[in-house]
Amino acid sequence: MNLIIKTTLFYLLLSVLVFGAGGVLTYQIVRSEVTKETDFALYEHMREIEEEILEGLPLELLMRERVGIQKLPAAPPPDTFFVFSDTLALHPYLDEKMEPYRKLDAVRKVGDGYYRFSITDIFIESDDIYDVVVKIMWQLFLILGLSMLVSSFLVTRWLLRPFRRILRSIQQFSLRDESPLDLPQRTSTREFRQLNAFIQAMTLRARQDFKSVKEFSENASHEMQTPLSIARGKLDLLQESEDLGQEQLELISGAQQALRRLSKLNNALLLLTKIENEEFRESAPLDFSKVVRSSLDNFRDLAGFKGLSLKQETGEAVYLRLDLSLAEILVSNVISNAIRHNIKGGEIEVVLNQAGLRVRNTGQPLSVPAEQLFQRFQKSRQSERSLGLGLSIVREICQTNDLTVDYNYQEGWHEVWIGFPKNV
Amino acid sequence: MKLLIVEDEKELLANIQSYLNRGDVVCEAASSFSEAQDRLLSFAYDIVLLDLMLPDGSGLNLLRMLKKINPETGVLIISAKNAIEDRVEGLELGADDYLTKPFHLSELNARLNAIYRRRKFQGHRQLTFDCLTVDTDTREVSVDGRGVELTVKEYELLLFFISNKNRVLTKQAIAEHLWGDDADLLDSFDFVYQHIKNLRKKLAVGSCGDQIKTIYGLGYKFNSR
Repeated sequence: MNLIIKTTLFYLLLSVLVFGAGGVLTYQIVRSEVTKETDFALYEHMREIEEEILEGLPLELLMRERVGIQKLPAAPPPDTFFVFSDTLALHPYLDEKMEPYRKLDAVRKVGDGYYRFSITDIFIESDDIYDVVVKIMWQLFLILGLSMLVSSFLVTRWLLRPFRRILRSIQQFSLRDESPLDLPQRTSTREFRQLNAFIQAMTLRARQDFKSVKEFSENASHEMQTPLSIARGKLDLLQESEDLGQEQLELISGAQQALRRLSKLNNALLLLTKIENEEFRESAPLDFSKVVRSSLDNFRDLAGFKGLSLKQETGEAVYLRLDLSLAEILVSNVISNAIRHNIKGGEIEVVLNQAGLRVRNTGQPLSVPAEQLFQRFQKSRQSERSLGLGLSIVREICQTNDLTVDYNYQEGWHEVWIGFPKNV
Repeated sequence: MKLLIVEDEKELLANIQSYLNRGDVVCEAASSFSEAQDRLLSFAYDIVLLDLMLPDGSGLNLLRMLKKINPETGVLIISAKNAIEDRVEGLELGADDYLTKPFHLSELNARLNAIYRRRKFQGHRQLTFDCLTVDTDTREVSVDGRGVELTVKEYELLLFFISNKNRVLTKQAIAEHLWGDDADLLDSFDFVYQHIKNLRKKLAVGSCGDQIKTIYGLGYKFNSR
């Protein structure tokens, strides 16, 4: 339910309440006004009769239907009063139908005599008042409701146009995009102006932060690689020295390996950061089968050396929307894992089709729970040389590129399955 | 070989200079964009070793300028950035090769030699080293004039040795030279050992004997006689 429909419904509900209360109120007011007027008319009528009595007209002449006059004895002098009341009487034309009447009962002193007056007058029925009020209210409500519907769908649409534009630009907002947001520049609505200013400031800050984080991770990597380079160079030079004993050479070699590991770690973490920040953006569909085949060609040598037999069944023309370097990293990580975590004389099976890439290899059961396999720095005891980031990178690439990745182990076979999206 | 090293990091510069100065390389150095610009405009070099990130400018701009005034000069980019875009842009601008920091100095030396061979002799060069002759164009190797059949990896290994003759090559450096990043897959360096063993056997037919010296715990050294 959108905002416009919601507000319209709310106002309609509110107007139902208002009109209900208004109806009751109108009914009361009209009724009391009518009573007042009727009473006034009755009183005036009585005054006229009093005048006529004073003029000396006989009472018989003044008595009519609905006007009763009775002369009261002067002694003892009765209390004078007048009182209005509701009563029922027969309708003058419609027989046997009782109608509500207003009645004035009074005892008055006219001249020297005392008279009892009893005057009735037809009274507008409260049913009639009720009907009229309901009719008026109903028609007003219809007019209001219709105009509200029309206004909400036309005027509010127009009023909320800047808002919808703001929404659209937020939806299309991308951190990497440098172009400014398409926000309505001139709007007379204060709230929208505030929203505009807020969004502009927020997106600007978000972009700046993103940029500085990106620059930081890039620069941090650069800054780390340089001292690493220097240290490695120094060790390269040191090992050229003539008078080094066996022990010193081994120390140098150990330091070299540690440094190499550190710089690979640095690179892998940087890569993960870049993937997480979605700095790789896929462009045209890429022939994934080509990537898989060339990666297999690279690894055949190594697999052969480790005495592994490599079976491949790679379909042609499997296209994916994926950055080329990411595709290479993905395939190489999965296949190199299959080589690394294999057994002597083991097997590797690589199957590629339109549904996905399946890499199976023989190997020892996992030493860590399978669900932890894709976590960072999670590695089995067999390969202390690996960084423990390979599968995290695989998962990160899959997550940011609509691919699924699953692992299972059955009867001595590890299987990694990378599922492709249904339609590319 | 006359070489200009453009690198703002003094220590790294010193490492490269002292490593390369042991061979037949004349090294000059520039540690900033402007210094490099001055030198490139005044002198001609065989190869420029170019760091892309300089404090006062981008190495890519130096590369553009160099390709205009002296297209014959070979360029090897060294950068801490492993970004593919940088690599592609550098190579498209005419750089010969791209090396990511950190690197083994022996690897740098091999790459420089490869560029030098390609540039100076358009690949046509018979490398002669004692009893060995290597034709880098046809990839033919002969010992005492007799042809020897080498596998691709063995050939690469031999070239790596010749480029770094009389220097210590660690097993790590050899593995990385031959297999790049995949070198990590080689649990222990048995694979390197295997290739060295085969290469030794094939080269030992000549009169020079075994020139590959094992340095225990570290690596190998290819000695001239």
